Amino acid sequence: MSVLSRLTSTACALVALTGLARADALTDAVVDQHILPTYERLATETAEFATLTESDCAPTSEAVRTAWGEAFDAWVAASHLRFGPSEADNRAFAIAFWPDSRSKTPKALRGLLLDSDPVVNTPEDFATASVAVRGFYALEYLFYDPAYADLASPDYACAVVKAVAQDLSQNSAAILTDWQEEYAEKLRHPDERYRSDEEAHQELFKALNTGLEILGDMRIGRPLGTFDNPRPNRAEVRRSGRSLRHLELQLDSLRQLALLLSDGDAELSQHLTQVFDKADRHAANLADDPSFAGVSDPQHRFLLETLQQDVRAIKDIAALDLGPRLGVEAGFNALDGD
Amino acid sequence: MPSRRGFIAGLMASSMAPSATWADAGAPAYLSAGKDELGLFVVAGLSAAGEVLFRHSLPDRGHAASAHPTRPEAVAFARRPGRFADVIDCRTGAQLARLEPPEGHHFYGHGVFSPEGEVMYTTENAYENGEGMIGVWNARDYRRIGQFPSGGIGPHEMRLRRDAPGLVVANGGIETHPDSGRAKLNIPFMRPNLSYLSLSGEIQEQMELPADLHKNSIRHIAVRSDGTVGFAMQWQGDLGADVPIVGLHFPGETHRLMGEDDPRLRNLSGYGGSIAFSGDETQVAVTSPRGGVVQVMDCASGALVAEHALADVCGLATTRAGFLASTGTGAVARIGTQVETLATAPLAWDNHLIPLV
Repeated sequence: MSVLSRLTSTACALVALTGLARADALTDAVVDQHILPTYERLATETAEFATLTESDCAPTSEAVRTAWGEAFDAWVAASHLRFGPSEADNRAFAIAFWPDSRSKTPKALRGLLLDSDPVVNTPEDFATASVAVRGFYALEYLFYDPAYADLASPDYACAVVKAVAQDLSQNSAAILTDWQEEYAEKLRHPDERYRSDEEAHQELFKALNTGLEILGDMRIGRPLGTFDNPRPNRAEVRRSGRSLRHLELQLDSLRQLALLLSDGDAELSQHLTQVFDKADRHAANLADDPSFAGVSDPQHRFLLETLQQDVRAIKDIAALDLGPRLGVEAGFNALDGD
Repeated sequence: MPSRRGFIAGLMASSMAPSATWADAGAPAYLSAGKDELGLFVVAGLSAAGEVLFRHSLPDRGHAASAHPTRPEAVAFARRPGRFADVIDCRTGAQLARLEPPEGHHFYGHGVFSPEGEVMYTTENAYENGEGMIGVWNARDYRRIGQFPSGGIGPHEMRLRRDAPGLVVANGGIETHPDSGRAKLNIPFMRPNLSYLSLSGEIQEQMELPADLHKNSIRHIAVRSDGTVGFAMQWQGDLGADVPIVGLHFPGETHRLMGEDDPRLRNLSGYGGSIAFSGDETQVAVTSPRGGVVQVMDCASGALVAEHALADVCGLATTRAGFLASTGTGAVARIGTQVETLATAPLAWDNHLIPLV
């Protein structure tokens, strides 16, 4: 943050104590009602998945797939909270390596299975494996792509499932522990990492923006490609038919964060509610094309494009109305550098 | 590359006035891309005092520009993932040509002319396979005449070497694809480098940072008269880590990181926007719009010697006395012992301030 804005925030503190008090409440609300519960759910779901794989780890098991799906749901809800604990030791990348523009996950998984690589034998060893083969997306290939079904013995495939589940659980637990033991405090009481409430708010605003970018540019943008060159094979988690589900889950989570950030501004909250409602309705229109295979068909494509426009409209509202409220300087270069 | 004979033939056939030079009256001292009051994108010529001399409309957001070494013309490049580069007569701002990269490529926003000005090079993304490319253009008629790999992913700024003939390219390491906007596709595996290439594209040397800095995207460069390359980086990891943003490298030697262990490095917010050497070449400066600061470092000791607050600063150029900076709030300011605003335009100046003479 600039010296100028630090001066400004000091000045604000002097002249508007009430404003500062509300600022703290904002950080508290986001941490207590959004960040901690979101990462708690991820830690719980991944732990349940890991526990299940102790007794049932066949890639074909419905129970295993269901537990994986529930844990994956929890990750999608957290996937915009990419700062601090999630970034230590590449934890978030190990949990979810996507997009995979160079097909590293299928290549690494294939190698692992064909070699029956002993790296899966202990959690310590598996933590050194490439992030491309460690997370939710690697298991999606193993569970839902027939090309990976018979590359290794059932026992080895089982060991892979167990290793990934344990690794997911460990990384998720580590993120949660860091949040609980130190990082929440860093946001709540700015000192070293964040030097003012304003800086903490900027981080939270950035998380919303990150989520909207992942949603609009990646989860929707990658399969859309261009009109002349649609890319249905790039749809996230198309093999398991979860593509649309991920959009809906992320919309829910981002709505929660956006509303917490706009708390106290009834007009803005109402506006955000309207645009998120609209996006939900447009997402529901895609129900018969959950993997976005239809992006090559102009009629179906239009539905996904409409949803992308909704997401971009939400991003614009965040930039124009929410950012300034949180002291995010919408500098031409600062906001969008190169 | 065109032969000397071909070059002269091109010169004779050209409709452009062959006698025009930078000494002709009216040529600006700097170029900068910007956004005007109506939200439209321009490239503007500025006087040495920062006054706007002309504006040329661009179809979309611009980024940097490159000046021809002898003729008073310059090329303004689209910001990535743009696909235009406008050749401008710098005396008037008139457009002389518009370049488009081949199908499947987009520009990264930077380019450079060969020492004699026969050829222009552009940094490009061949995005279907994510390969960094250098486009080669005849600088007389601006026809595409070739291309070669940049030596990495995501080539951004490129300069001429000054210790030997050749190019130095900042391969930022980040893969993007226009279908996914500006989203970064390969952060956990990114490997930026500084590549030294011959003018025909042979890789002569590559500098990589240690593995713990693999998420530090080497993006902008400046070259001192002895051939030392100053590079500015943009950190793609968590901002909680204190990371170097500026380094120096001389071909054949190990790199040096600047300002290390100085707590003020954090004020750059992990982001170097532009880099330039001082007029006397003893200092190197970096701008950070995210931090709202310009930091000046001593080339010999590596120490951070001064920090100046300037809101949304990004463009930076060498002047005889020190540095000139431009900002997203329209200011052009001299950076000496203090910041002195020379001019303010009703424009948001974009990332780079390009000296023309």
